[in-house]
Amino acid sequence: MALKKWLDKLTLLDLFDGLSVTGRHLFKKKVTIEYPEQKKLPSDRFRGMFRLDEERCIKCTLCAIECPIDIIYIDWHNEKDAAAKSVKVLDRFDVDLKRCMFCQLCEEACPTVPKSIWLTTKTYEMAAYDRNESLYLDIRKLTDWRHAPNVKPFTVVERG
Amino acid sequence: MNASPTVWTYLEVLLLVALVPAIVGFVIVLAERRIMGFMQARLGPNRVGPQGTLQGLADLVKLVTKEDVTPARAEKAVHFLAPVLAVIPGLTALAVVPFGPPVRVGRTLVPLWVADINIGLLFLLAITSIGVYGIILGGWSSNNKYSLLGGLRSAAQLVSYEVPMGLALVSVLLMSRSLSLVEIVRRQEAIHLWFVFPGLVAFFIYFVSGVAETNRNPFDLPEAESELVSGFNTEYSGVKFAFFFLGEYTAMIIISCVAVTVFFGGWLAPFSGTPALRFLSLLPPAFWFLAKVGFFLFCYIWFRSTFPRYRFDQLMALGWKWLIPIALGNILVIAFAILLFPGRTTGLVGLSWIFGGMFVLMFLLSKLRQKLARRDRLAAVPRSQEA
Repeated sequence: MALKKWLDKLTLLDLFDGLSVTGRHLFKKKVTIEYPEQKKLPSDRFRGMFRLDEERCIKCTLCAIECPIDIIYIDWHNEKDAAAKSVKVLDRFDVDLKRCMFCQLCEEACPTVPKSIWLTTKTYEMAAYDRNESLYLDIRKLTDWRHAPNVKPFTVVERG
Repeated sequence: MNASPTVWTYLEVLLLVALVPAIVGFVIVLAERRIMGFMQARLGPNRVGPQGTLQGLADLVKLVTKEDVTPARAEKAVHFLAPVLAVIPGLTALAVVPFGPPVRVGRTLVPLWVADINIGLLFLLAITSIGVYGIILGGWSSNNKYSLLGGLRSAAQLVSYEVPMGLALVSVLLMSRSLSLVEIVRRQEAIHLWFVFPGLVAFFIYFVSGVAETNRNPFDLPEAESELVSGFNTEYSGVKFAFFFLGEYTAMIIISCVAVTVFFGGWLAPFSGTPALRFLSLLPPAFWFLAKVGFFLFCYIWFRSTFPRYRFDQLMALGWKWLIPIALGNILVIAFAILLFPGRTTGLVGLSWIFGGMFVLMFLLSKLRQKLARRDRLAAVPRSQEA
């Protein structure tokens, strides 16, 4: 055993092993994604920015009930439509995004098919300078990101 | 050889003093960061200029515009002097390095070295060891415990590694019979044998000590950024910090230059004695010199990104218990090889074959050991866990 240890030291095997590892890495493909030019493609179940479809929503408020931290605020009232049929109309559908933990339970709770509220938009570029304005989503911002100036919709950028 | 015209010497000095810091700042630092990045599977700095080529300029601007802080209770004069002491010896030592054979310009023969003094190698060793003072004094004058510890570590380390380095060079002196760096190269040209072959062991010891002398990984204990808050230079900022940086890299260049001159035939093309490889001499000698120096600088970077830092006692054990005895034994072996065949190079050639054979044997042994270790690992896995 002592001889083997001595032989190890003498042959400097460990040193050359280490050098060969780094030497090989010198020519390997690098894992860096150069962010502004290249973007990482999130997986399909990645939970990112919210989206709401007002047409599909049946105003059942199950998402607000399911939300563990109660950051979904929904108000609605009844209206008669052209056929004198009673329909629910949203007064308010707010998501307080700055407190959201992106657990996706609201999406799971939604009974409509397809879901009326969903997070699998792959959009993650939504950093903002002011928490209370930009990270508080009202119905306008939820249905159309053009009203949420800090949200950059995800676009696939090929790695160059 | 007639004495070189003074004007040319002045020009060369100017060129060296102006070029070396620029090369350090713009080429070596960038190369180091990018190569290290590559070895760590990332890209390294590539934002400033095409492929990061202007990174040096950005660093320069940052360092120069930084506030120059001197700690309130520091030893002001020494604190100012230490970074200068770290740089000047390195630049001074470059004076004796021959970058190539004399070049004919018009009717004068211009040597590509500033001075060819007959104690060149001794001068180099003496001058470069002054650089230690910069580090020690820098650590002491900052009035900071960690910096002082860094300085102390470097004192012990540099003093220890001067010894094997000197001994390794002694074995070369036996072969070259001269201390002048130009003469050493000419001798290698004359016997058609780079001293690295008979002096394989000496070269290994020299380069390991050289890495230790320049406080580079894996022997960067004085700096030890993760333990000593970067050690001796904690209290330095701005231009003074840049000077320490410059000093470290100049020392690297010096070590590489000496390694090339003494062991790798200086400006000689590889195997210049072999007719089949004569075509390699078509490239200018200075190119070969710089290429070899570049390779050794690359090795420095390679080592840095590969090896973890030594513990202090391991460092001392390596220096005193391994390198010095091996270096002493090596001197003995080379002396015998020269004594047995006086006036001829047969002994040196024979030694080259023996060392080469030992190297190959070591390689095969290590491969065998690798194989045995793998078999042991496989045998250690219980039957039930096998696929």
